[in-house]
Amino acid sequence: MRDKQIEDLKDYKYGFSTDIESFKAPKGLNEDVIKFISNIKKEPKWLLDWRLKAFERLKVLKEPDWQKPKYPKIDYQDLYYYSAPKSFKDKPKSLDELDPKLLETYQKLGIPLNEQKRLNGIAVDAVFDSVSVATTFKETLTKQGIIFCSISEAVQKHPELVKKYLGTVIPLTDHFFATLNSAVFTDGSFVYIPPGVRCPMELSTYFRINASDTGQFERTLIIADKGSYVSYLEGCTAPMRDENQLHAANVELIALDDAEIKYSTVQNWYPGDKDGKGGIYNFVTKRGLCKGKNSKISWTQVETGSAITWKYPSCILKGDNSIGEFYSIAITNNHQKADTGTKMIHLGKNTKSKIISKGISAGFSDMTYRGLVDISPKATNSNNFTQCDSLLMGNKCGAHTVPYIKNKNSDSNIAHEATTSKISEEQLHYCQQRGLNPEEAVGLIVNGFCKEVLQQLPMEFAVEAQKLVGISLEGSVG
Amino acid sequence: MEEQLKIDFEKKLKDFSYSDQEKKFKETNFKEFLKQGFPNRKLENWKFSDLNQIIKSNIGELTFYNDYKKENQIDKIELISELEHNKIIIVDGKIEKIDFKFEDKDKIEVLVEQGEETIKENINSLINLNNAFSNKFCKIIIKKNYSLKKPLVIYHSTNKNTQSKNTNSRIDFKLEENACLRLIDIFKENSEKNFLNIYYNFQLDKSSILKNYKIDKSINNNVKYSYNNVKQETNSISETFILSSGSKFFKNEINCDLLGQHSSAFVNGIFDLDEENHHEIKSNINHLVENTKSYQLVKSVLEKKSKAVYQGKIFVNSEAQKTDGYQLSNAILLSENSEFNAKPELEIYADDVKCSHGSSSGSLDENSIFYLMSRGLNYQEAKKLLINGFLLDVIEKITDEEIKNLIKNLLGVKE
Amino acid sequence: MLKINNLCAKIDSKSILQDFKLEINPGEVHAIMGPNGSGKSTLSNILSGKKGYDVTGEVLFENNDLFSLETEERAHKGIFLAFQYPLEIPGVNTNVFLKTSLNAIKKARGEKELDAIQFLKLVKEKAKELKFDKEKLGRQLNVGFSGGEKKKNEILQMSILNPKLSILDETDSGLDIDALKTVADGVNALRKKNNSFLIITHYQRLLEYIKPDFVHVLMNGKIIKSGGPELALELEKKGYENIN
Repeated sequence: MRDKQIEDLKDYKYGFSTDIESFKAPKGLNEDVIKFISNIKKEPKWLLDWRLKAFERLKVLKEPDWQKPKYPKIDYQDLYYYSAPKSFKDKPKSLDELDPKLLETYQKLGIPLNEQKRLNGIAVDAVFDSVSVATTFKETLTKQGIIFCSISEAVQKHPELVKKYLGTVIPLTDHFFATLNSAVFTDGSFVYIPPGVRCPMELSTYFRINASDTGQFERTLIIADKGSYVSYLEGCTAPMRDENQLHAANVELIALDDAEIKYSTVQNWYPGDKDGKGGIYNFVTKRGLCKGKNSKISWTQVETGSAITWKYPSCILKGDNSIGEFYSIAITNNHQKADTGTKMIHLGKNTKSKIISKGISAGFSDMTYRGLVDISPKATNSNNFTQCDSLLMGNKCGAHTVPYIKNKNSDSNIAHEATTSKISEEQLHYCQQRGLNPEEAVGLIVNGFCKEVLQQLPMEFAVEAQKLVGISLEGSVG
Repeated sequence: MEEQLKIDFEKKLKDFSYSDQEKKFKETNFKEFLKQGFPNRKLENWKFSDLNQIIKSNIGELTFYNDYKKENQIDKIELISELEHNKIIIVDGKIEKIDFKFEDKDKIEVLVEQGEETIKENINSLINLNNAFSNKFCKIIIKKNYSLKKPLVIYHSTNKNTQSKNTNSRIDFKLEENACLRLIDIFKENSEKNFLNIYYNFQLDKSSILKNYKIDKSINNNVKYSYNNVKQETNSISETFILSSGSKFFKNEINCDLLGQHSSAFVNGIFDLDEENHHEIKSNINHLVENTKSYQLVKSVLEKKSKAVYQGKIFVNSEAQKTDGYQLSNAILLSENSEFNAKPELEIYADDVKCSHGSSSGSLDENSIFYLMSRGLNYQEAKKLLINGFLLDVIEKITDEEIKNLIKNLLGVKE
Repeated sequence: MLKINNLCAKIDSKSILQDFKLEINPGEVHAIMGPNGSGKSTLSNILSGKKGYDVTGEVLFENNDLFSLETEERAHKGIFLAFQYPLEIPGVNTNVFLKTSLNAIKKARGEKELDAIQFLKLVKEKAKELKFDKEKLGRQLNVGFSGGEKKKNEILQMSILNPKLSILDETDSGLDIDALKTVADGVNALRKKNNSFLIITHYQRLLEYIKPDFVHVLMNGKIIKSGGPELALELEKKGYENIN
């Protein structure tokens, strides 16, 4: 028994749960819970009204069922919508006041909130269950006028910005999970880069789900004002639990004239065990609006975790000459399922988009690339290039490519290419002849296959991602 | 619509002396259609072409009953003169003539079918509609080792005064071992605002070859749907070519089940669209066993407010190792109001496969036009030449020389 | 060092090698010559551990049963195959590949792995000796390399991994005379009293630059004649048809 546990732990190295007393809202989804959340966060009335409006809408919306991965029905009344470490009821003012157990948790995750990260020059906002626990590097950033804090804090301190932009990219009424998030979101990060400022360091958020039966609904809002630049990293982990946990985040990005936002994700939520038990349902809505001319939004994602991943980080290219990019690696093993891709909506003139997607499926898993490229009649002289490659390992898994291509403008070009293949016996033999064992060989070849995407990641993340690619496929070579 | 449907269906049942089995078959299908209605955009398959809307805006209210006692105009149908051929003439959904005058009589068998007892495959509501309202359908069997000497041309036509009607026709084909059939569908209607619903079944036995060329060139205001259901055994080949051009709306759906090893399917097509025409090709190639092959190439040239949709799906199940599947679509948008939509889909469960697809769309290459104009051509000539070359690629895929030339002439494409 | 006894190999029940015998001692260079389809490449595939053959007989490498070892274990023990058709591996940087494989071998042997600086120094040195364009080492493995560059890359890998037994499978094919010399220089530099070579070739051209100790003629899966370097010249003159 113990051996088995150790074995399982080896499989998912972030699979510990922290023994911290948490303070929860009562289970269930109703107006009272929403009021409870709003109240505990001391939110202004407009925000509570906004949440309640979303909740009204939610009552008529249906859970979507068109996506490929099917999942057992979620009982939304049986979830906790708010969970905070008890010691956080009065939020600590500095890192020194943090619960040492929490700090330990982040140490285990490899996210020290203090010294080490400072050396690396990354500002971190850590979200533990539903609340943001600490944000580092605040002073350095404040000097340049950059706001990087939890969204709860932003609501208190910068209500005008939050009110102006919240829900402008993902409307209240968008779809079931996005609307659910709007009703019950608890915390998340808020970033504002003032005009002309190039954010001097990578900003980073680490999400962790700890309490059981907890849905995590964080909300991230990033605004890059005219001529600014920011690179933002997001990482996620969750402990191993038998039951499935729901994660339904909303991320909104807004780039004004000449601004650029680079958003990178390494998603490593608990994928469930070898038999497909447990794991996170990762139903996330991420959308960026290139609002101003010459703006640019670039999504990079490495998706290796979660039982079910279902997300389409998208770009709305509204400003003339704006650019949208999507680079993705998605790996599924064992019984994992992923349905992921992007939408590039070209509205402005001379808009460009690029999609590079690499999917790898092994074991009994199922992987779908689903994407939309839509060039509207007004988007003259726009273009898109899409490359989707899939790699299959074994014949118990599936790899699917479902691109939707709509070209309504004769001056615009769309090019789409897709391939599906496997690692050839010859390539394996060649690597083995040079002394690599089959798993090392596969890791090497797969990393080569993903190269174009890995290159897009900031250095600190690239190394981690490369290792993850190898780890995720362990045991998949027969 | 429901009232009309019920009245017309009652008339239909009364009109013919159907056996109990046939009646049951028709009634089951009718009920299913009543339940589902015409397909709309909520269905994934019809996302880009909402047939319900298209019928509403182009036809209005449909009627479903045809009174065949009236004299038909079979003699007024313009036959193709370029090549000798066998023929089947369908007017308002009814087979008026079957003529295999060039063939050995004992090599071809024509049966009148009773209709299955139950609905075997529930494909879509249009097939239900077809089964409910089509006349007794026939089954054509090409005997073992027999290759038809001349192609078979099926003319799809309507009577001049057939307006706002739905007509349904169905033919089943069986090609026995090593048999070969060249089949050309020609669409030439004498009336407008009708919805033609055509359903073919093909059973391709071992080593048989089917070549189906569908030619929709003459300009008309009808809405059409055609479904080819092809089942292929070992070593069989199916070649489908679609020239989609003249109709107001036309959706061609090709379903190929590759059931035997070394069977292969080819689906090629051209959208040559003008005005507000809206056409679609939807293919499903199902690779179900090892060592099967499919190849698809679709090219579009789109003028004015026309719209072309290509949904091509390659499915490979986990047994179908060594599958080779390829799919490419290219579109040229010649007007700022034209539109090209594509959904090239791969669904793959086997690892030792080679599958790829590509899709591109955009305007004519201005540099090429400039190059040609610098050599003395005017803009129109240059454009024509480039489109010529663009389309030639697909036409060259036609394996039958006679038919290839026929289509080249129809499109005015020169080598 | 290498002892092959009564080796028979079949593929899809078609017999390719029959009763094949060969012994290579430390420091020796053997050449196997034969026409197309004589079984030359099968031999190198089997020695390196490629799957898909039905094999009987015995192959011992330093008294280890070769058939009980996986491909990579053979590499760890010091067998190197310069492939006739080196593979392209998209996205994998040549340097990274070399370092990974060198360290995998070192690790298996319980030796200390090289860090990035030591490795780069070694590669730089070897590349210079082989006149291998350093810039190419930063590129994807064999992707976009010419035929000659691919072969040189094989020899570079050989000199870095420093194997005990190197099998050169038609390394000379597709090489111009300058490249051929470079390849031969690379091999000769590795010739030491403990390193052995098995050179598989169609022509004796390469043997002008790498003097073999023994030459064997392979026809229809069997060695039909063995001799010294002079046998290669005889073959060149008479052709395979008339060698018996």
